[in-house]
Amino acid sequence: MSALPLASPRPGRRSAPERHLEVAPTRAQRRARPRLLPAIVTMGGIGAILLAQLLLSIVLADGAYRIADLQRDQRSLQREEQALAEQLEVLSSTQNLTANAEHLGMIASGNPVFLDLSTGAVSGNPTPAGGSLTGATGNQIGNSLLSGSTLVDPVTATATNPVTPTGTGASGATTPPPPGMIPSPTR
Amino acid sequence: MTTTRQTARRLQLTVLAVLAVVGLFVVKLVDLQVVRAEELTVAAESRRTIPVTTHGIRGSIVDANGVVLADSVERYDITAAPVNVKPTTFITQDGERVEVSTVEAVAKIAELTGTSSADLMAELTADPSSQFAYLVKAVDLATFQAVWDLDIAWVYSDMRPSRVYPSGAIAGNLVGFLGTDEPLAGTERRWDECLASTPGQSSYERGADGVRLPGSLVVEQEPVDGATVHLTIDSDLQWFAQQALATRGTEVGADWGTAMVVRVATGEIVAAADWPSIDPNDLNSVGPNDAGARSFVAPFEPGSIMKPVAFAALLDQGLITPNTQLVVPGNYTEGLPPGENITDVFSHGDLRWTATGILMNSSNIGTVMLSNQLTEKQKYEYFMKFGFGQPTAVDFLGESVPGNHGRVFSPEEIDSVSEKTQMFGQGITATSAQMASLYQTLGNGGVRMPLTLVAGCEWPDGTWTNVPVPQGERVVSEYAADTTIQMMETVASQGGLRSVISIPGYRVAAKTGTGEVAENGRYGAERIVSLAGVVPADDPEYAIVVTFGKPDIMKSSAAAAPTFNAIMEQVIKTFRVQPSTEAAPNLPLTW
Repeated sequence: MSALPLASPRPGRRSAPERHLEVAPTRAQRRARPRLLPAIVTMGGIGAILLAQLLLSIVLADGAYRIADLQRDQRSLQREEQALAEQLEVLSSTQNLTANAEHLGMIASGNPVFLDLSTGAVSGNPTPAGGSLTGATGNQIGNSLLSGSTLVDPVTATATNPVTPTGTGASGATTPPPPGMIPSPTR
Repeated sequence: MTTTRQTARRLQLTVLAVLAVVGLFVVKLVDLQVVRAEELTVAAESRRTIPVTTHGIRGSIVDANGVVLADSVERYDITAAPVNVKPTTFITQDGERVEVSTVEAVAKIAELTGTSSADLMAELTADPSSQFAYLVKAVDLATFQAVWDLDIAWVYSDMRPSRVYPSGAIAGNLVGFLGTDEPLAGTERRWDECLASTPGQSSYERGADGVRLPGSLVVEQEPVDGATVHLTIDSDLQWFAQQALATRGTEVGADWGTAMVVRVATGEIVAAADWPSIDPNDLNSVGPNDAGARSFVAPFEPGSIMKPVAFAALLDQGLITPNTQLVVPGNYTEGLPPGENITDVFSHGDLRWTATGILMNSSNIGTVMLSNQLTEKQKYEYFMKFGFGQPTAVDFLGESVPGNHGRVFSPEEIDSVSEKTQMFGQGITATSAQMASLYQTLGNGGVRMPLTLVAGCEWPDGTWTNVPVPQGERVVSEYAADTTIQMMETVASQGGLRSVISIPGYRVAAKTGTGEVAENGRYGAERIVSLAGVVPADDPEYAIVVTFGKPDIMKSSAAAAPTFNAIMEQVIKTFRVQPSTEAAPNLPLTW
């Protein structure tokens, strides 16, 4: 026994053969030791979450591009629709309709005759239809938006959009307009 | 094994390191917040928010059936940045990117837009350092798409709202037109409060180099589109009336013509035609005097179509019956200043006419003689109650301007001649709209319904504003109005124009009118000829007034008769007016 203060162990002479000593862990210590499986699961989970986040943002960005594309398409389609609606309004004007009607050979109607459905009485003085709606001098009320001829020729119209005639229709005329193009009363 | 001292030292070192980092931050903070504050604020100014005004769409004008008379459309301005223009340009041709000279590229643009290449080059070369120049303004979508497909790097575009009138000159007088900044005429101007859109406010942030920061757009207020103004007219009938006026007007050499069709029961104007009428798409289509609506704002001396006022008033007061007998001389001077006299349209001796006969033959003298039973105050009150001398309920643009709504002289200011002549429509002025209102009142059993041209404003959210609730006002008794109509039937059935204005199966009540036109204080050879009436006379549904101003040939109401008949027939067809069921009463014209 020596009275010397405790000194750091010095390497060197060995008094006895070195025995590899380990602290024997208690059960509590053994339980407290971190496990491998939960660690892997946790890290894997974090990785999976990060991956999911990445994928989600990729999909979102892709969606955002698609939305921008579709919005651009919608805007351009809306513009087209407006332009076509504008054309339609001009073609629906009374000037165009009367011009096309007269081109088809339509004439002004006569006096209207009324049939009273409850009594079966007919009132009114029928006069034969005849005469052009615009008169000999033609349409006087101009429309500067109707430039050029906007007359629709029914023969060429059926040639480009052929419709198979289903009814008995006209009696062997050269090129009868198919039923449904021009209303004709049934006989 | 670590000693306490070593642990303590490590701790000290860590704390020192942390303090050093904190100190660095503090220094940087002080530097930014205090030392360089000014400089940084100035730099941040360049990142300030830029306010943007967004515009809504101007409302459209439609007729009673929804036919669009005025519409807002998009047009495109093609602009360029001259600073980016080089001697050669890349364009897309036939799907390929080719390099051409800029002159050639500009020529292609000119060809597609129908402009001159020289003008476009001038725009580009005017200020080579400018960032902005207009190449072509207001092209339609097809043209714009063609130019855009060229894919030229220094060409940009701007959207410009524009106005289009698909029906052309139909109702051009009523619809009006726009100028460059504001509406100038008609419904476009009068109802701008409904039609105009409310602009919205947005803001975005912009970097120092002028690039808009994405995602920084904040919409503070959405723009509100304008409301749709619904007119009560039927555009097909309006076209027909305009066409009839134009054909007959040119035939008789008239300066102008008006035709009004009013629904008797409600006072709705179903046609208000003016000839000549402007095509709002082409402001040069007519002269400046014809660009408005004469039917509402140009009063004239109506002549004999004003006579029914006298007869209705006399019947209302119980002073006459249709069979009241009178001996009518060929010349009238009573109560007139010396040298003045009143004659009839044809010279005659003393004739024994009933009141109906006086109206049928349109005798000025007979009308004056019968009207002498009314006091001047009574005459004035009846004219005012019938709506003369004041703007109609339509309040069309310009109606309320003094002088535009006709003149009825009050008892204090009237002279002895006008006191009598006003009973046959001279010495009093009225517009076509006021005349139509008179016949509407007579057809409606003496109840005047305020004239309406606008049925209301329909806003984008579906609400309606400015919907008129017409309140009828009794002017004369039902007996007086109905009897006046019956007396007027004789004009259509027995008058000189009966072959022109009668329609088989329908009882028609009409009155002819040939008003003399005063020029430089004297009545000259010019006439304003009219025909007014209601159909069917047994239960009137529509009042029609046709007027031609200053015809060269045929200076009588025979000029207006065929137009009156044509419009009446078209009204019958359009609105399915049923034929009359009872025969007209037999009112004697002479005794």
